[in-house]
Amino acid sequence: MKSLPAEKSEFLRILATRIVPETSDLDDAGLDRFFEIIDGALLDRPETVRGQFATFLGVLKWAPAVRFGRPFDRLPGEHQDAVLRWFEDCPVSILRKGFWGLKAMIFMGYYGQPETNEIVGYAPELDGRARFHA
Amino acid sequence: MREMEYDIVIIGSGAGGGVAAKELAPLCADGVRIAVFEWGAKLRDDEYSGREVDMASKLFFDSGGTFTKDRTMTLAYGRAYGGSTVIYTGTSLTMPEDVVEDWDVPGLEFADLHRRSMKYFEENNVHLLSEEDINDNNRLFLVGCRKLGFNVEQFPINVKGCRGSSLCNLGCPNQAKQGTDRVQLPKAEALGVEVITNCRVTNIGDRVCEAVVADPGYGEPSKWEPGEYRVRAKVVVVCAGGVVNSPGLLLRSGFADGLPMLGRSITLHPALILVGEHVDPITNFHGFPKSYYCDQFMKRDRFLLETCMYFPFVTAKNLIGFGAEHSELMRAFPRLQMILVLALDPAVPENRVTLDAHGDLVIDYTLTEPVLDSLHASMLASTRVFFAAGARRVHAPAGTNFFIDAADSDRVDQLIPRANVKPGKISVTSAHLMGGCAMGRDVSDSVTNGWGRVHDIPWMYVADSSLFPQCSEVNPYVTVMALADRVAEGIRNHAGELLS
Repeated sequence: MKSLPAEKSEFLRILATRIVPETSDLDDAGLDRFFEIIDGALLDRPETVRGQFATFLGVLKWAPAVRFGRPFDRLPGEHQDAVLRWFEDCPVSILRKGFWGLKAMIFMGYYGQPETNEIVGYAPELDGRARFHA
Repeated sequence: MREMEYDIVIIGSGAGGGVAAKELAPLCADGVRIAVFEWGAKLRDDEYSGREVDMASKLFFDSGGTFTKDRTMTLAYGRAYGGSTVIYTGTSLTMPEDVVEDWDVPGLEFADLHRRSMKYFEENNVHLLSEEDINDNNRLFLVGCRKLGFNVEQFPINVKGCRGSSLCNLGCPNQAKQGTDRVQLPKAEALGVEVITNCRVTNIGDRVCEAVVADPGYGEPSKWEPGEYRVRAKVVVVCAGGVVNSPGLLLRSGFADGLPMLGRSITLHPALILVGEHVDPITNFHGFPKSYYCDQFMKRDRFLLETCMYFPFVTAKNLIGFGAEHSELMRAFPRLQMILVLALDPAVPENRVTLDAHGDLVIDYTLTEPVLDSLHASMLASTRVFFAAGARRVHAPAGTNFFIDAADSDRVDQLIPRANVKPGKISVTSAHLMGGCAMGRDVSDSVTNGWGRVHDIPWMYVADSSLFPQCSEVNPYVTVMALADRVAEGIRNHAGELLS
């Protein structure tokens, strides 16, 4: 990724497996598309927003050390989910918003791929009218 | 920097700019030179791929995800030949009489606005879809609302040859939607108006605009070579760049000193997308996506319910939660019914478009407690509609659980507590941006008069939804066209004086 350093993009991949479990099933091409879409979205944003996103990833990685004594990527899955749920409902609004932004990026990277439309059963057609009259 | 000269320069080509261009175009026969500057590209017909991320990046500012300053909302507004008319659904409503009265703009009468709105109904082929062309997603909304005794109306829509791709919000791949890209701009160009795409106006001086043309790498090439331009507008400049860019451009150009209300009192119709899951597949992404609305709660609870059908990424980001439950609901896509709720937000001066310390545009908008109350009430009403329509379970963004089962439908009030409506947690979006260059009496309460003429700047007009002094309470594009029609008439009426 051009928008994030390598260790941050690897951490993003780990987070993605908790947020959209199907990202674990992506092949190399699918993962490339996942990162390409997120990269494109981040590069379109001002540098300050990219910086805030990278900072939030750092907070998310190290915040669990306070409670669990280990960073996020060394926690078992259920503890990782508990951390993410805490961030999603966090009383500190800036952390809630950061988590919302993270989720949106990961959803974009996965569900924004035309290749994943089939998995969710989404198959629009130019002539949708004919299809539903059929 | 290249020098150009026109008599009339129109900035923006959406519902406002496109109509202003078409209405002023007959002046070209008298030798008046008119240019429209559009920031976005003119896509070729074969570039409307229907792919969500691809189309969002080509047709929307910030791919449809412009943040408000406090990051509690994202805004979706268009950037293309045709502006936001390329990416709306084409639902065509006229503004209610009581709302026009509440606007209280001197000289702006309901009858006049309504007459002009009807003109654009005619011009844009507005009609009701026949019953057999209404898919299950829409039909179930009607069923649910009627069971509950809620009033439902059908949206008139502005399509011609619609094939029901359901991709309206990604630009119609069948060229059926009658936006300004299909109707008003081609008419204007045929009469001699020049439309310059990929052209961003960066500054307005005294009848002079500075603009930059860039090649985005897609769409038809701009009529002008990439580069910087200084364009003299001998007679009039019409700002029609929308709620963010019209006030934003005027603020950047230094007009704030004489116009204290510039950028202020924006309203956004804050919106939520809600999802109900049925047992069996329904027709949802086949067929026209938006056919009905429920106005039952407009006056008391200040929200509208509308049918809608969105795409996988937009749907995913509007759900609360993550992981297995989220994936389970996404995989039920062919069984999903969707409802869009719009809160009817008040115009308060603190909600505004402004500039930060670096001169960058900021949309400073706060979701007020009454608006959050409306969003909460809309979730309760929508959940009841889903269950009345036969949904097996519902996902409400403020629900205590990810799913609410039909067996719990009598406990909706408890399962969707008001305390869970947390800005920054739930996805709140806007596609109806209004205000910022409001019409009114004088500089103390507004930016323009009732004809869109900027106070104390006789050569500057505004012709877009930034003119709205309060929200329209209905989908706004027809009202934008009616107002732009008035603005153009005002310019024509003063043409002699202005041209001399």
